[in-house]
Amino acid sequence: MISPETLVFGVLAALGLISMVATFMAVMERDLLKAVLFSAVQSTAYAFMFYILMAPDILLVYVPVAVGLYPAVILFLIKKTERFEGGEEE
Amino acid sequence: MIDVNAFLFSVLVFSLIMNLGISLYGIFWRPSLVKKIIALTILGDTANVLAIVVGYRAWIAPNRPPIPPVLTTWKPTATDLSKFSSLAVDPLPQALVLTAVVIGLAVTVFLVFLTIQVYRLHGTTDVRKIAKLKG
Repeated sequence: MISPETLVFGVLAALGLISMVATFMAVMERDLLKAVLFSAVQSTAYAFMFYILMAPDILLVYVPVAVGLYPAVILFLIKKTERFEGGEEE
Repeated sequence: MIDVNAFLFSVLVFSLIMNLGISLYGIFWRPSLVKKIIALTILGDTANVLAIVVGYRAWIAPNRPPIPPVLTTWKPTATDLSKFSSLAVDPLPQALVLTAVVIGLAVTVFLVFLTIQVYRLHGTTDVRKIAKLKG
């Protein structure tokens, strides 16, 4: 039988791997709109991580800032400038 | 016998350090200024999570998790305090991270408006093209 401690650390490791994949996709993606979405996925994984690491007050600040305001501000920036990295090919 | 919990915890720390590396790559080698801002937010968030991970503590028993650093009694006695300090995680990194999240938001908004100004003046957000401009 799997113990609760192992379960919690397993969820933490899975969230770490999810955030690593999302960060890689966000940095490598040429479409900046998709990069913002991957960065939001990574922020969601970090938010669950804060909750499991017993920091509920950080969670309350982090969710509106990193899942709400960061993508909103960067979407505003993409709307004002250009959408594709390295010129407008498409 | 391999310690499964220590292994899973080191997977977590490894993935966070990999995140630091990937976002540093994004800041230094990706050409778009918008991509640099996205990578910078990821870098700041990863540093915050690392600080929280440093403040975490080992479990007392396999079914006894640590508690958040919040005192729930109005007039705590010495026994309450010693029980609290034997169970709660470290509150100091959480206080620092709470400040850092808000400061990171302010820095990001400032960089966003700098980038908009660069686009208005030069018509591009590609640093390779901006570096070739004269004047």
